[in-house]
Amino acid sequence: MQKQITEANFRLLLDSLLFKGQRVVGPRRSGGTVLYEPLASASDLVTDELPRRSVKEAFFPVCEDLLEYRKEGQQVALSDVTAERFPETVLIGVRPCDAAAVPVLDAVFSWDYKDQFFLERRARTTIIGLACTSSDDACFCSAVGLSPADPKGADLMLTPLVGGGFLVESQSEKGEAFLETWRDRFAEPDGTQTQALATPATQPFDLKRIKAWLDDHFEDAAWDSIATRCVGCGACAFVCPACHCFDIVDEGSEKGGKRRKFWDACGFWKFTHHASGHNPRDLQPKRYRNRIMHKFKYYDDKFGQTLCTGCGRCIRVCPVGIDIAGVLEEIQEKG
Amino acid sequence: MQSDTVDTSCHAAIAEAVRTEARRILSDGTVTAVIGYAASRRKGSTQPIVITSVDDADKLIFSAACVNNLAVYLTKAKKDVPRSGRIGVVVKSCDLKALVGLMGEAQLKREDLYLIGIPCTGVLGSVLQPAALLTTASIASKCCECTDRLPPGCDFVPSVQLPQQPRLEQRYTDEIARLEAMSPAERWEYWKEQFSKCIKCYACRQVCPFCFCEQCLCDRNRPQMVEQTPRPAGNTAWHLVRAMHLAGRCAGCAECERVCPMDIPLNLLNRKMARELKELFNSEAGFEVRDKGPLNSYQDDDDQSFIR
Ligand code: SF4
Ligand code: SF4
Ligand code: SF4
Ligand code: SF4
Ligand code: SF4
Repeated sequence: MQKQITEANFRLLLDSLLFKGQRVVGPRRSGGTVLYEPLASASDLVTDELPRRSVKEAFFPVCEDLLEYRKEGQQVALSDVTAERFPETVLIGVRPCDAAAVPVLDAVFSWDYKDQFFLERRARTTIIGLACTSSDDACFCSAVGLSPADPKGADLMLTPLVGGGFLVESQSEKGEAFLETWRDRFAEPDGTQTQALATPATQPFDLKRIKAWLDDHFEDAAWDSIATRCVGCGACAFVCPACHCFDIVDEGSEKGGKRRKFWDACGFWKFTHHASGHNPRDLQPKRYRNRIMHKFKYYDDKFGQTLCTGCGRCIRVCPVGIDIAGVLEEIQEKG
Repeated sequence: MQSDTVDTSCHAAIAEAVRTEARRILSDGTVTAVIGYAASRRKGSTQPIVITSVDDADKLIFSAACVNNLAVYLTKAKKDVPRSGRIGVVVKSCDLKALVGLMGEAQLKREDLYLIGIPCTGVLGSVLQPAALLTTASIASKCCECTDRLPPGCDFVPSVQLPQQPRLEQRYTDEIARLEAMSPAERWEYWKEQFSKCIKCYACRQVCPFCFCEQCLCDRNRPQMVEQTPRPAGNTAWHLVRAMHLAGRCAGCAECERVCPMDIPLNLLNRKMARELKELFNSEAGFEVRDKGPLNSYQDDDDQSFIR
């Protein structure tokens, strides 16, 4: 279904949602950065800046409790966190490179083990995407098969119109239901042109060719030249919408505490450190190799697509200027 | 505040001199490798590079986006960088202080290094937009209060005339004064709020030349010493461990602050600690190699007023 909404009606719609007690999460200013956080009013929504961290944390938080334990004498009491308690949420202003990562994560979290913490949040969330009208030279969505208007992963897609307001297209049953519930706020499209979309400059990658090279070059001197400079921080993985590694740890005392799930990263030395003391990825280039292999080979082998949506966040934050698009270019030339 | 452009016209000459010198020391066998900066894919962006052949010397550059403290690659925590023979390294003054500190901690020997010093007009505070112009607004806060624009004691320094710098605000000094004027409760609130943003990516630790421990206390899990999750308890513990461990050692290169993806003002804490150390022990990071830091040595006249 296609509809149209004015800027004023759009803000009113947001305030109505909030007034009804609906949880609405979108890009908002938080300290010096923009993050996806619950909005308190429509005016909180930031539409012209890509949030520093990605939308994955709406389903996969930085840290969450899985259970609580208490020990009294010989008795141990466990209480589960019930995943049903997660609130219904409308996620708004989601960039195409973020929205597209959500189905990528769905595949991982519902494959051999159904992660109820992820999946329950996912089931209760409606995603309203927003097409991009600007980009910088770190953006490369269009080089990995997406685009600044790609609706992948979104339930509803907003595209800014010339003169203000948005063209609204539903992409799923959730999207249809949303349009139905709020139908009096939307109008029929009157043919107003949509604004010019962003045009990321990077040329499309030949992902098959890149994968073919990766298939045969687990050992290669290129890994050293690419990644000797990597300092092994987790910044690239933490800001990535598609990276999803986590660790589980018990924290507290002998008497009581919590089991928690929190983000982990393959760049960390500790990531594959075995209890024996052996570390199969003992040097940084081997860890960076894993990052590239996971994104452009292993995930593809398993789920038939890549684990990167070209948002460019890892490029912007890497403290030593490692540029994943540059790395892909280099591999493509070899392949 | 209106921002003025910083004159960076000397960068081309500096880059050329660095290339020529790198070629010379690689070809005559003075060094086995040179660690410097190269251009990266995005407009204006740079990255650290380790070169071992004369042909690669052409890749070396210098610009206001050459922000990294390359001393980090010379620590034992980074085993990937070739470590045989003498190594050439490009350093700004702030980076040099870190190298000097590492020498004092017996991590490096002066004779194993060939120091290529940069006469410095300042670097960008953030490289999120690496092509940004260097101005009194975009310049790194550390550069605003830098008094050592010519690194002393290097083996080679390009001879260029450093331009007159426009007037710069004293951001750390002002901010420390603002915080010191607060009540302890208000100050604690400020830092609690800052630490709450931390996602424990450890980028700050990984770029710090002094975070060279092969196993960080905060990574220990048998037994766990510090809560590992990015929550209030673990975050506060991490930041206290970091601040205390770096006190008296920190060179003030501000790399920790630059790389924090959550924009936590880590160097503000470092600067405050540095000031305390200066007042209490008359000790500060500089260009003289010292084999004892203020917090790992004892003297009879040390200030003991904090123990009551
Ligand atoms: S790998 Fe980098 S560019 Fe790709 S989705 Fe992750 S953060 Fe974005
Ligand atoms: S990568 Fe593409 S979709 Fe993402 S912000 Fe940039 S232009 Fe928009
Ligand atoms: S690639 Fe960059 S951001 Fe990622 S771990 Fe290495 S240094 Fe950190
Ligand atoms: S603590 Fe920060 S400012 Fe101090 S030496 Fe380490 S990275 Fe540099
Ligand atoms: S870089 Fe910032 S977010 Fe990452 S661990 Fe350090 S303080 Fe926390």
